Amino acid sequence: MENSAPLETACKQYEEDLVLHYYGENSDKERRGVEEHLATCHSCRRFLEDLRGLLPQMAGAEEMPQAFWDSYYRETVSKLAEQEDRKYRWRSLFKPMRTWMVPAFGTAAVAVLVLGLVFGKGDLRLFIEPRPERIPQEILADEKQLEFFESMDMLEALGKLENQDDWKTDALNSDLKHAALPGGVA
Amino acid sequence: MADQQQMRDEELVALSQQGDRHCFEILVRRYMEKAYHIAFNFTRDTETAKDLSQDAFLRAYANLKQFDGRSSFYTWFYRIVVNLCLDHARRRRRVAWESLDYTSDEPAEQRQLADSTYAPDQQAIAGEAKRRVDQTLETMPKKQRTAFLLRNHQGLSIADVAKVMKTTEGTVRVYLHRAVAALRQSLVEFV
Repeated sequence: MENSAPLETACKQYEEDLVLHYYGENSDKERRGVEEHLATCHSCRRFLEDLRGLLPQMAGAEEMPQAFWDSYYRETVSKLAEQEDRKYRWRSLFKPMRTWMVPAFGTAAVAVLVLGLVFGKGDLRLFIEPRPERIPQEILADEKQLEFFESMDMLEALGKLENQDDWKTDALNSDLKHAALPGGVA
Repeated sequence: MADQQQMRDEELVALSQQGDRHCFEILVRRYMEKAYHIAFNFTRDTETAKDLSQDAFLRAYANLKQFDGRSSFYTWFYRIVVNLCLDHARRRRRVAWESLDYTSDEPAEQRQLADSTYAPDQQAIAGEAKRRVDQTLETMPKKQRTAFLLRNHQGLSIADVAKVMKTTEGTVRVYLHRAVAALRQSLVEFV
């Protein structure tokens, strides 16, 4: 069975036709063309022989005993009956509900909407607007930091005022000294 | 009832669509072997093939109202079976191919004992060939594999394979050619 000889490939332009020829799926014209070619081409003959040897082996189906098919049929029929029963059971459940189902579902939908508005405090933006982007905490200045900076600003302002007062007093004192000196500039 | 047994598929389908389950049961009997064998070709497992093919009948019956008669019942039904098998293969991520020339579930040792003419070297060669075919089919694109299994194993015509696969006959020819060429290539040492 084993053959270590290199594989002989069929002529490329005939390979597909040979597969169809094996399955009997080519037209009369194609079949005549293939047969004429086979008469002269050893590689393609070998290819077709390979197909005839291999493909039927692969297709070999297991023959099941009649008991298997009887059991198969009974099971399938039983499953079909169950499936149909289930379908009718659901239908029988839903049938009496149909008259009031539509208003009931409508009322429920309105109730959900009202509850949503009430608990959302009537703010429709909650439903419409996208949520604000989350900014990392370390970037945000917290309230204490703001107070600190405000205090610093205030202290700085006070310091400036004090410096200004000191400068004015010094200037005044200097003026007074000049005025008190003889020959000083009036 | 005897008349119903003789009815054509289309007539049985029409009556089944009106709620006559018995007519559908006739279709089950008519197609159960084919359905099972397709599923077996894909799965190589008796129980799985049985479950999948039975599931196909259940789905076909549940969706029978959607069948508009533009194609034949069996191409429509084959499509259901094939789709279930492909879904199953996707879930399992493998398609097992247990045997080339026989498909028994018995362990190899028991088969060898039962068949004294089965030489050990033949067994080894057959085992290797099976493995190669298994590998080739497993790695083959699913459309090529489907076309090959439906034509080679189920004996569907290329026209019917095209209907089942909802594609053209030309495309099926290409799939079939590629599948056969790949399988032959994989078995080069055994031909």
